[in-house]
Amino acid sequence: MSFREKIHWVSFAAMALVFGWYFLSYPWGIIDSAAGVMASVGMLVPAVIIIIVAMSLATAFFALRMPGDVDLKEDERDRTIHFRGTHLAYYPLVVGIWANLFAVFYQISPGVQLNLLLATVVFAELVRIGAQIFFYRRGY
Amino acid sequence: MAAPPFRNTIRTMRFMAGEMTQAELGQRVGVTRQTIAAIEQGKYSPSLEAAFRIAQVFGKPLEEVFIWDGDEVELR
Repeated sequence: MSFREKIHWVSFAAMALVFGWYFLSYPWGIIDSAAGVMASVGMLVPAVIIIIVAMSLATAFFALRMPGDVDLKEDERDRTIHFRGTHLAYYPLVVGIWANLFAVFYQISPGVQLNLLLATVVFAELVRIGAQIFFYRRGY
Repeated sequence: MAAPPFRNTIRTMRFMAGEMTQAELGQRVGVTRQTIAAIEQGKYSPSLEAAFRIAQVFGKPLEEVFIWDGDEVELR
């Protein structure tokens, strides 16, 4: 498994675990209140910090274990996989943004809009990274 | 995933080139070892440039390294 693919796995696992925790632990009962928005902010800060720390530690760990692979430039297959993953993630991103636009039109609470937007970004990221892992594993 | 409409003889060519490793071939072509492995297994269709470079490393014409197995293209 290449250095890049390992980083993708860590990234996917970190996103799934951290945002899984976020969406399962979020106090949905107060989502329509100002406290609901503040709860999002309060939970997003540690979530982002955990992801950054996990990614940094994993990158350092794999860099120490595979020093020769760290400096390898992205080749044509890496680039193609990168583009295809990003292309697939575009669709859920657009659907989520349209859903959010409707939420704004219908004056749905800022807490719902914020979480809808966050869910859109997280889902699109999981599709992007997941697709890239799939293409690395299975080829295309 | 559908297999590409061609097979390749890279594994044989590497053997005939003194058991050249995938990493060495990758280095000479300018791609990673994993990409060479994926090409060998038919999991990745290389660009025309990479295909030519691979053939050049072995000193063979392209069609000896990559052999078309798909449908014939009808000429008008």
